[in-house]
Amino acid sequence: MIILQKILENINYLGGIALFLIGLHTVVTHSNLIKRIIGLNIMGTGVFLFFVAIGNVTGGEPPIMTEDNIGAIFINPLPSVLILTGIVVVVSMTVYSLSLVIRIFETYGTIDQKELTRLISEQNNHD
Amino acid sequence: MKSIFKNNAAPVIKRHMIDRFQDRITYTSSKLILTIFLLLVAFIGLIKNVFGLTDYLKNVSFIYQFYLDIAHFIWMPLVILAIPMIGGLSQIAFGQRASSRRDRLVIFMTFLTIILIMTMYPQALSGGLEIRFPEVLGIGIGFRIDMLGYIVLLITSIIWFLVMVYAHEYMKKENKSTRFFFFLAFTYVSVLGAIMAGDLLTMFLFFESMTIFSYMLVIHGQAEEAYKAGQNYIFMGLIGGFLILCAILLLYFNIGDLRFVSAITKLDGLGNLKYWIMGLLVLGFGIKAGMAPVHVWLPRAHPVAPTPASALLSGIMIKVGAFGILRTATSYFFPSKEAVSSYADPIWLTIESIGAIIIWFGIITMVVGVFLALQQSNIKRMLAYHSVSQMGYIVLGIGVSLYLGYKGAMGYSGAIYHIINHALFKSLLFMVAGVVFYHTHEADMYKLGGLWKKLPFTAIICLIAALGISGIPLFNGFISKSLLHHGIVEAYTYGDKMFFFAEILFILVSAGTVCSFIKMYYYVFIRKTDRNYDHIKREFSCLDSAMGLIAILIVIIGVFPKLLLNEFILPQLRLITFDPDFIEHYIVDAHFFTSEDLWMTVLVVFLGVVLFFAGSKFHWFHIKLPRWFSLEYLFFLPAFIIMRLICRYLRGDRCPIEYSSYNLLNLKNDNQTGFVDRFVITMKAFNLRFEASIIKSDALIYTGFITLVLLFMFIFGRF
Amino acid sequence: MIEQLPIINLLLLLGTALIIPLFKKRPFQLSLTLCFLVLLTVLVSSVFLLIHVLEYGEFYYHFGNHENLIGIEFLIDAFSAFFTVFVAALVLVIYLYSWKDKTEGIENKEFGRYYILLFILLFSIFGILYSNDLFNTYVFIEILSITSCAIISIKRKKETYTAAFRYVMLNEIASMSYLLGVALIYMITGHLNLERVATSLQSIWPLYSTNIIIAIGFMTIGVGIKAAIFPFHIWLPDAHATAPSTSSAILSGIVVKIYILVLVKLLFRVFGMEIVEALHIKWIMLILGSAGMIMGSIFAIAQKDVKRMLGYSSVAQIGYIILGIGLFTEAGLQAAFFHIISHGIMKAALFLSVGVIIYYKHVQKLKDFEGIGYQMPISMTVFSFGALGMVGIPLTSGFISKFNLGIAVIDANLIFFLIIIILSGLLNVVYYFPIVISAFLKDNKEMQKIPHIEKVPNIMLIPILTLGVAIVVLGLFPNLIMDIIVSVVATLF
Repeated sequence: MIILQKILENINYLGGIALFLIGLHTVVTHSNLIKRIIGLNIMGTGVFLFFVAIGNVTGGEPPIMTEDNIGAIFINPLPSVLILTGIVVVVSMTVYSLSLVIRIFETYGTIDQKELTRLISEQNNHD
Repeated sequence: MKSIFKNNAAPVIKRHMIDRFQDRITYTSSKLILTIFLLLVAFIGLIKNVFGLTDYLKNVSFIYQFYLDIAHFIWMPLVILAIPMIGGLSQIAFGQRASSRRDRLVIFMTFLTIILIMTMYPQALSGGLEIRFPEVLGIGIGFRIDMLGYIVLLITSIIWFLVMVYAHEYMKKENKSTRFFFFLAFTYVSVLGAIMAGDLLTMFLFFESMTIFSYMLVIHGQAEEAYKAGQNYIFMGLIGGFLILCAILLLYFNIGDLRFVSAITKLDGLGNLKYWIMGLLVLGFGIKAGMAPVHVWLPRAHPVAPTPASALLSGIMIKVGAFGILRTATSYFFPSKEAVSSYADPIWLTIESIGAIIIWFGIITMVVGVFLALQQSNIKRMLAYHSVSQMGYIVLGIGVSLYLGYKGAMGYSGAIYHIINHALFKSLLFMVAGVVFYHTHEADMYKLGGLWKKLPFTAIICLIAALGISGIPLFNGFISKSLLHHGIVEAYTYGDKMFFFAEILFILVSAGTVCSFIKMYYYVFIRKTDRNYDHIKREFSCLDSAMGLIAILIVIIGVFPKLLLNEFILPQLRLITFDPDFIEHYIVDAHFFTSEDLWMTVLVVFLGVVLFFAGSKFHWFHIKLPRWFSLEYLFFLPAFIIMRLICRYLRGDRCPIEYSSYNLLNLKNDNQTGFVDRFVITMKAFNLRFEASIIKSDALIYTGFITLVLLFMFIFGRF
Repeated sequence: MIEQLPIINLLLLLGTALIIPLFKKRPFQLSLTLCFLVLLTVLVSSVFLLIHVLEYGEFYYHFGNHENLIGIEFLIDAFSAFFTVFVAALVLVIYLYSWKDKTEGIENKEFGRYYILLFILLFSIFGILYSNDLFNTYVFIEILSITSCAIISIKRKKETYTAAFRYVMLNEIASMSYLLGVALIYMITGHLNLERVATSLQSIWPLYSTNIIIAIGFMTIGVGIKAAIFPFHIWLPDAHATAPSTSSAILSGIVVKIYILVLVKLLFRVFGMEIVEALHIKWIMLILGSAGMIMGSIFAIAQKDVKRMLGYSSVAQIGYIILGIGLFTEAGLQAAFFHIISHGIMKAALFLSVGVIIYYKHVQKLKDFEGIGYQMPISMTVFSFGALGMVGIPLTSGFISKFNLGIAVIDANLIFFLIIIILSGLLNVVYYFPIVISAFLKDNKEMQKIPHIEKVPNIMLIPILTLGVAIVVLGLFPNLIMDIIVSVVATLF
């Protein structure tokens, strides 16, 4: 029961870690390049969730100062702000890698990692 | 009438002379060689103060002033280093087109070096020449000249000069001689620098550059064999360098000073580490010196180089290795003169145990060298194995001097003396081999014969050199060998009785040397063959004049042994912590031509002759060792097979490791594939197997390692 | 005024990157000159900052005058000032070289873009070095990652795409790991400023051991991937082999080193010696470093492509640096920093001289290097000096780093690693010497007949000669920079 309690208390963190691991699993096991990119995105989401969860204060209010809530407990806004930057970065990374995948598909005709490795090693042996 | 005759006659005579001398440089260089000889005589005369000449000259004020100037000019080492360097660089400017001008430049540069080195004598005698450049290389480098360095320096410069004269003629038949002379000049710089070095780091610096520059000399022929030998040469050389580097690091960390001063008090506190340091130094320098277990590069590299280079490699460069052992052992590991007064001091214990090991190394080197030399048919290869064997003598001398410590003066002087003597006769022998090859294009002694009729001068020279190396009285080898013999006798008189066997082996090796040179001389010069040598023209060239002077030096040293001993070696002995009474008693009053020594020589020669006749009757000279007895076979083949088995197990038929590369590692082929090639083949197989699969599993490696690292920290972390 | 110099540096670099597209219609020479002037200014101001810092000590720069509790902070001390000087100087040399080296797969119209990327890259490097804030460092690291991937894939060749893709993937994983570490630290300390994190960690670290272990593990490995520490070097050989030579030089000489410096900052400034010792980070780094030294060389031996081989050699040399840092002594760190400098110079010299050969001969395979020394004496000589430096022959800067590292290893009483250093040096001989030998000594009759020797623009030869001279000068007078390094290291302890 206590364990369940703990899990419930830390559900945010655990969710973040779980997402991170799911993403990592996708990256490790899949050989389709696009699936690997998606896996990376899931990993990123996990980390962001974790980061944002740190800022949460139990019973806190959204950090928007109005005349009503002076002196109230606010949620820490800094992680959310930071993560905005992080999301932008990951988006640009994703875009960049997807564009690379397009190029790879144009030149090799496949987006499968194993297939690619085979093609490249054949080409190297050919030299 | 008279004046007209005079004006015409001079050029005619001159041209006539030049015709006889083949070309202009032969003429000039012969004059230079004569000058050097006269200079040497004058030099010795001045040193020995013959007829009160020196005293007289000192009274002439301007000469005395000049003498003082020289004696205080401390930058001389730099000047000496700069001259060949400038020479080497300006040779490129002349290049192949002006080859005779280039050769003249080379000869003059080396000539100048000798003169400058001679002028350093007063400073070397006082032992006061020491300069340092504290900023260079971070911890500073320095130069120092004392008599040990000086005598090696002098002999090096003389031999180098003569070899340059020789090379002028010899290299006419080789390609790319500019490159050869360029790297020769830089090798010269490195050798001079290593000898003049004032601390271990400087020595190491020049030692490494010597390895690299002389590598270019070894592979100059650019034949496949030369590349193989060169690969061996450079790898062994660099391994030696790295071992020395290790020793330098350990020494520098523990002592804080790399100058050649006594450090035994600090080293004694290090426990076993001091043996490691000495072992690294001995092994590192020993590789270059051709010491027994690590001599393998030497007999391969020396014969493939062009003859001038092999004369220098065998004559000078391997001495630098021996010089390194001598320098480091007698400086760091010897107590300072003030600290010790008797041989019973416990401080000698360290050096004694090191010395005992070095003696055995020397003995093994001697035996292995001479044994393998007896089986060779290629003249240069035989000489190279004799270099190994003779280096054994030098190493033995060093070992004796360390083993006896306070009483080791005999071994020390024997080692130095043998360094000089071997430099003389071995370079001369290589030059003889070069002349034979130059005229006949044959290096196999079993295919030669009867050359004394065609090359009488060379035959005489060769006889002198062979008598020198065999240790016959009145030739130089006798002197150093009897010094070393006295040394080994002292070793078992004062120390371990086991060294009695060392003495027996010493005698046997000397007999083997005699036998080997009887064999060579018989097959090359005396034996009757049906080969005719009609194309050989008898003419006097640079080759002969260069060899002539070395032969004269061999005889002079052999007849007047005290000359070198008293004027050059004794001052150095007195600087080192040896027992002064011992020096006065045994070395100053040393008698060389005693009946005991002469009987020993007779015994050695007798054994040698018997060995020769027995050997040629029973064909002992053609025994070969089994091939499988090599590291290459013992290590890399199993490694390869194991890797292939793993690979086949993992991948089945798709295994990329082919059987064809197995054939390269195979037993029959080991003459073609060197150690390094085997290593590379094994590595390639490894790479083929693993590289792609490592790259493929990128995220897996990440996951695995992060788990490992986290587990490691969770388990071992101290919280 | 002097306090504003760091931000002026950053703005100059970023501004130049933005301005280059505006000059698209103008002659290209104009933007080249402008870039040169900017780089020169940045170099001069970095040198000025270094002198200032050495003289008067460190100073902080606060953005918008917010204090470091909420604001972003730059710290300019000997550490950052010294390495910015190094980066600026090396980039200037490489930049000069890149003027004429347009042919190597970069199309003409992409050439301007290359410089945009170069300047953004430089901007992020300066940012990482100056930054005194964990998250800010993350942002700069991401910029650096994208730009360095981009300068690899700028060449329109098919191999570059896969290489760049692998690099992007690993970079992304690494960034995520780093960010996770930052989150864990922020969770327990509530700060992102390096100094504040360090002070609060010192008091609370026994309480939150799990957080700290996971954070330190993820951050080390994350930065380690980007720094190509041995088992994470996977992206490096492909990236080097396919990228243009200038990119390889920048990547291997500078970018990888920047991540190592980030690692140094994390371990020494954030976590501190106490945590590092308690968690035995020392052994992790020593083992990874020495494994890299050996395995990098072993993989390099079998390569057929010269740039791939140089890439693996970088892996081995990074092993040296990691070994030096992993000793966690002052001597070790000094040796590591010296090797960062000397390896940067040597690797740049090697890559650029290979670049000249590729520019002129269009060959990249090792077997095509036979006899090339006759045709291209200058670049092959520089290559040889670089190779000698890698082996650690005296008179090159490589010897000094090896010497210092050896002393440091003995100093830490870990003589076993001395053997590894020596062994790695020997392995270097195995793969560097045959190239030099075959270039200079294997006769190739066709090559010798060609009358034109080294018809390469001077602007390409001058930089590689400069680097070659720098190798020897550093080898002869290491104290020129060793004195500065001593004070740099003093800021970390």
